[in-house]
Amino acid sequence: MNRLRRWGPAFLMVLPSIILIGVFVYGLIYWNVRTSLQQQPMPRGPSGTTNYSKLWAERRWVRDLKNLGVFTVVFIVGSLVMGAVMALLLDKGVKGEGFFRSIYLFPMAVSFIAAGIVWRWLLNPSSGLNLIFDKLGLDSLKSQWWQSKSPWGMAAMAMPAMWQMSGYIMALYLAGFRGVPEELREAARMDGAKERQVYRHVVFPELRPVTLSALVILGHISIKVFDLVLAVSGKQGKTETPAVYMWDLIFQASNRPKGATVATLLLVGVAVLVIPYLIYTVRSERKS
Amino acid sequence: MAEIILDKISKRFSNGFYGVKELSLTIADGEFIVLVGPSGCGKTTALRMVAGLETISSGDVLVDGKRVNDVLEKDRDMAMVFQNYALYPHMTVAQNIGFNLKLNGVPRDEMKRRVRQTAEMLGLESLMDRRPKQLSGGQRQRVAMGRAIIRDPRAFLMDEPLSNLDAKLRVQMRSDISELQKRLGTTTLYVTHDQIEAMTMGDRVAVLKAGELQQVGTPHEIYDQPANLFVAGFVGSPPMNLVEGRLVTGDGGAVGVAIGPITIPLSAHQVAQQSLSSRSDGELIVGIRPEDLIQAPSSPPGPDEARHRAVVNRVEAVGASLLVYFALDVTAVHRESLADTGHVADERLVVVANGTTICATFPPRSMVRPGDEVEVSVLGERLHLFDPVTELNLA
Amino acid sequence: MTAPMPTETTAAMPAIEPLPPLTDDHQLQRRGPVGHVVKIVLLFVFVIFFLLPVILLLLTSFKSLAEADPSRAWQLPKHWTLDAWREAWSQLHGALGNSFKLVIPATIISTVLGSLNGYVLSRWRFPGADLVFTMFLFGMFIPYQAVMIPLGLLFKDVGVDPGLGRLIIAHIVYGIPMTTLIFRNYYATTIPNELIEAARMDGAGMMHTYASVILPASAPAFVVTAIWQFTSIWNDFLFAVFLVTNPDSWPVTVALNNTAGSQVTPFPVQMAGALIASIPTLVVYILLGRYFMRGLMAGALKG
Repeated sequence: MNRLRRWGPAFLMVLPSIILIGVFVYGLIYWNVRTSLQQQPMPRGPSGTTNYSKLWAERRWVRDLKNLGVFTVVFIVGSLVMGAVMALLLDKGVKGEGFFRSIYLFPMAVSFIAAGIVWRWLLNPSSGLNLIFDKLGLDSLKSQWWQSKSPWGMAAMAMPAMWQMSGYIMALYLAGFRGVPEELREAARMDGAKERQVYRHVVFPELRPVTLSALVILGHISIKVFDLVLAVSGKQGKTETPAVYMWDLIFQASNRPKGATVATLLLVGVAVLVIPYLIYTVRSERKS
Repeated sequence: MAEIILDKISKRFSNGFYGVKELSLTIADGEFIVLVGPSGCGKTTALRMVAGLETISSGDVLVDGKRVNDVLEKDRDMAMVFQNYALYPHMTVAQNIGFNLKLNGVPRDEMKRRVRQTAEMLGLESLMDRRPKQLSGGQRQRVAMGRAIIRDPRAFLMDEPLSNLDAKLRVQMRSDISELQKRLGTTTLYVTHDQIEAMTMGDRVAVLKAGELQQVGTPHEIYDQPANLFVAGFVGSPPMNLVEGRLVTGDGGAVGVAIGPITIPLSAHQVAQQSLSSRSDGELIVGIRPEDLIQAPSSPPGPDEARHRAVVNRVEAVGASLLVYFALDVTAVHRESLADTGHVADERLVVVANGTTICATFPPRSMVRPGDEVEVSVLGERLHLFDPVTELNLA
Repeated sequence: MTAPMPTETTAAMPAIEPLPPLTDDHQLQRRGPVGHVVKIVLLFVFVIFFLLPVILLLLTSFKSLAEADPSRAWQLPKHWTLDAWREAWSQLHGALGNSFKLVIPATIISTVLGSLNGYVLSRWRFPGADLVFTMFLFGMFIPYQAVMIPLGLLFKDVGVDPGLGRLIIAHIVYGIPMTTLIFRNYYATTIPNELIEAARMDGAGMMHTYASVILPASAPAFVVTAIWQFTSIWNDFLFAVFLVTNPDSWPVTVALNNTAGSQVTPFPVQMAGALIASIPTLVVYILLGRYFMRGLMAGALKG
């Protein structure tokens, strides 16, 4: 009774949100999984995991996964490296730091769709970047981008994504750098460390949690990448990702159970990435 | 190990303000010097200039005769102990202590051996695999010390290393550090705002105020012959009683100092030594340390002794002694220069209705209580006399 | 742009501490003048990388359809024309209105819910509060694809009109985790427990404490959260394309993706449209970006 009086109002205050999240997140996830276990057309009743086994046997699905893998690796590594380099350049303070920061970050405010429209041109083999490389005499950098025959063509698709997200990573790292007490860097210098060594031995090890956060953020964006691909290349086998496939399944093929199957697998991918991270975060928060 | 000379070093900030002004100081090889002063006096800046963490606007820092102004901190071969210890959070105790050796490419085996040796010296053997977060304040402090001594550097630079410890541990570490420094014989520059640390640890003490050096000397010299009013007010706890006084010549030419109702005779020796006669108006600032103002003995007063009866206002039992406060009908000294000393912390405590509050030291068991009338005694030779204009000691 | 911020308190609000003003003599020169030049050059290389798309957008948007040839992308327009802008505006202005009608209520409601949740989950942790918070957090990361199909069915079953109403509901619900996280971390770091306890000792109940102690200190978090929600909802494409089947209700992202001509792709119109669709979020970014940072700083200082 005492407990109820003490915590009752607090619980009531969040109850609407709990119900909303419960229904719209967990309830719908359950519903989606159930749908994925059904057969098309619907009334035929449950088919067990048939949809899953069929999907994994498809070459299209495997290709989509491979596309996603290439995209993910290039996007994550690229954004992390770019973000870290930009943060390093800004860390010691330069004139006009605010200007650089705003420029690096502004793509965050732009939608994937709007960005995709212009990147469609930039990554057009007979336009955009290639024209610039041509002018600069950097012919070796010219590329067919995502239209190339190489299995790495999908890597080009990561460029617009990096354009959008690397500024965010820069901001994360810069905040991280600035959060390392100046005293620690001084102590390392007194210990005889060169600037490079100060970063390597003292600053970067302090930023492991930041890197972890960045990895999870980029990773889960990558897994569900959809509108960017659609805006840059349209529906193309070469650049299809699972999320695009799912869209196609629903709107073109009207195959809801199969679409739900893809959706469930996307969720599993994100969960594998995110759940350990959440556990780690909540635990380390409790420790401190 | 090295001799360090600060030759008129200054730190001028871009707004024209001086953090340190023409500071000259010679730290002999193996010497332990304490830089002391109120907060904001520039002592930490001075230390950081020696370390190389702060540029030198003018003047030179010489280490063994070599100018090091333009040498980067990492190449100066000095070890620093920071106020917050600045231990690397992701490294274990052993890694923290061995970091410098690792950077210098010392072979693994030798590194291990030296880390172990250092840890033993500091009693850290059982903590080698812990991280700083898992250590107590005192343990962290020792790791910071270990990081410094393992290098056998040319000098230790310590920036308020004990200020984050509790009082008891501070006393313990005080003597530990002194002892260690004696054993290693490493030149040491130590910064603190705590005058007790300064007096107990330093071979010599340098008192700084507003970026300028006030006095350098052994703790004894600083205490007994403070060079000026500021040093007199800053050093000593409870602080020296400072009041305005006048030089008087009694019958038969005997010279004394009058403070309010009391006249304290000076010895012929004192009069001869001090350039007192030249002071025509005879105005002085008189300082009496509380421990020199004592309960009058039952014997009759000596030739240069003065006595005074007063009613006790307040009593503080500080254990080893009893601080007895009474009012004396005399003007208290208010000087800009005393503002930072903690001397006149609260004017209301000092200035009372019938004069100035004076502190005397009585034996711990003297059972004095507020309202009691007591007789205090002071010797002329114990007085500190300052010029009211220059504020310099007239000794 | 639907990137949830990291969940850790320190990183959740990247409050970048500005450096103290550098005096010339702050530190010994560690890098020669050459190093400095290299650094500045690199910084500008990145600036060019980030601005290239903007330049291309602007150039093309002022060209006529005939002149907009991909192989001459970087040439200045020979005949500057506003035709593309006019056409884009006529195609998009309805959708822009839809976006505002969607973004404003969804932002306000999800932000208010976030504030209440954040308050309870940081300062009135009823038993199980941490579990609730973790469940919320996971909701932030789920791919919306995983709920999209049943969500459409649910709306149909309940009878929600296939227009903006669906989108508003979806963005409120799926915005809750993020807004709750921002407020929870903000309250946990800036409002000392003693303050809440003092209010309790003074006899204030939970709601009263919220109104008198928490709310007045919440302005920075409201700004941060509102900016975040505004941008993510404005830029959302996935929900809109799945849930809104009626073209009259399309928000601007979907309408933009469907700007098409009868025969050839009208590049200038698309580019002008991309700019028009981005203007609201960019204005918010430019105007409030500074306030955003300052708000975070103020919060950090108070803590």
